[in-house]
Amino acid sequence: MRLNIGSGSAYANDRLDTAAAMADSGRVTYMGFDCLAERTMALAQIRRMGDPGAGQDERIGALVPILKNFLEAGGRVVGNFGAANPDAAASDFASGLARLGITGTRIGIIRGDDVRDTVLTHDLELPELGTTTRALGDRIVSANAYIGADPVVECLQQDAQIVLGGRVADPSLFVGPICHELGWSLDDWDRVATATLAGHLLECGVHSTGGNFEDPPYRVVPDPHNLSFPLAEIDDDELVVTKLDGTGGAVDVRTTRTQLYYEIHDPAQYLTPDVTADFSGVHLEEAGADRVRLSGARGAARPDTLKVLVGVDLGYKAVAEISYGGPGCVDRARRAEEIVRKRLEPIRDRIEELRIELHGVNTLFGDRMRGGEPAEVRLRLAARALYADVAKAAAYEIEYLYFGPAGGGGVVTSVVPAIVVTPALLPRSDVPLSVEVISA
Amino acid sequence: MKLREVAYSRSGDKGDVSNICVFPHDDGDYEWLREVLTAELVAKTFGDLVAGTVTRYEIPVNCCLNFVLTEALAGGVSKSLRVDPHGKSYQSLILDIDLPERQVRS
Repeated sequence: MRLNIGSGSAYANDRLDTAAAMADSGRVTYMGFDCLAERTMALAQIRRMGDPGAGQDERIGALVPILKNFLEAGGRVVGNFGAANPDAAASDFASGLARLGITGTRIGIIRGDDVRDTVLTHDLELPELGTTTRALGDRIVSANAYIGADPVVECLQQDAQIVLGGRVADPSLFVGPICHELGWSLDDWDRVATATLAGHLLECGVHSTGGNFEDPPYRVVPDPHNLSFPLAEIDDDELVVTKLDGTGGAVDVRTTRTQLYYEIHDPAQYLTPDVTADFSGVHLEEAGADRVRLSGARGAARPDTLKVLVGVDLGYKAVAEISYGGPGCVDRARRAEEIVRKRLEPIRDRIEELRIELHGVNTLFGDRMRGGEPAEVRLRLAARALYADVAKAAAYEIEYLYFGPAGGGGVVTSVVPAIVVTPALLPRSDVPLSVEVISA
Repeated sequence: MKLREVAYSRSGDKGDVSNICVFPHDDGDYEWLREVLTAELVAKTFGDLVAGTVTRYEIPVNCCLNFVLTEALAGGVSKSLRVDPHGKSYQSLILDIDLPERQVRS
């Protein structure tokens, strides 16, 4: 038994044409869709608060026609399309299939990752904010536990062709199908670690095939405009990661090892809901053009706690910018900054955080890479305040710079809710999950 | 010599923690990089961008040095007011580090 499984998405706005290429390739029988990043979940919860039918991935209507042939050929799809609203995601899939005249598709729905009520009664520590959930009270807008592969496997065992949930952990979207198809037990830790390794390399999409990689002249890949999502070929003895033929990018030892330790801290202790994975001894070997064979992942028992991302309403964030060009542009922008700081003095104590900096000079690294005088600079203000009127007032000070130092142009301002997500831990037993497989 | 001439990198974020993995272009340079590219040097380069600590994990089988920077993203992707709240660009800042001239390998 050998399973070919491909990536279909790495985040909420990922490219549909890249997913279509994988679906139509004939190379894979499963596709995993990671639709969530840390902030995506909280934003989805906000959408759901405004509309009980919202909060799911917003691409499902467009995705179903793309997956039509893949599904009709028996392909199976696993994704965290649910975001804040798995039932609404299932409903979007069902109506999309109905529009295409497809009936009888089994859809597995995973529920239970939404633990907002639980975190409010447990008074959890929020170490990155230095406070607790109870102290924040109704400023907590969401809490979702990262859940593992077990409910995915349960849905697949019940013949679900589409499996969707909320905050299913990124690699678990792949661990579920791999363990189900290859008959690997979810407590066979070395094998779960191997499946997690495959999932880790697939869940970030083009990050494994040449995306976020080029740095000419040292690192260049062919046709970077036409990258492929990665796919894995896996059986009891071997794991190979590759990409679709006829696409750009590269899958070689360099691109693969760059992604291998992406967002991993201690490589011997990578915690997921499924396993404590040890990737410190993973061996990579090129096995043909754009094919890398991986071996040596080791696993130990999964953690007893689940990571929870708690979404907290911290008010509003304003960002506003204005450009200065030509001789003296940095001096004029600095003068503008002085004006803005003086004008903000009366409301400064109601601004929780404030940054004013210059694109082209110091926004990314402070003054660490200061070069010569740039041809143009863009003054940027970013501010956070608990109240919208304060955030707006800060942003407007940039607009008023049309009447400040000479030649300021191109003002853009925005004020958006500041929903901050922050990690906490819950015992696994406090996150009861359930699955339901419906026929659409 | 800039680190960029002999190595490549990728940075990622989890909450307020950034990790930056660094690999030599030529695996033969790994031992030398292990000597010169210390956690202290990275901490000095990043300065007040990082409020927490810099820890280095060594992964010899893949010639990787993985630097983990805590309190490094001004509160993390959702809280930070920085232009690059993920610290995606940190992989480029680390490559700007000046290294001592490399000994000729025997």
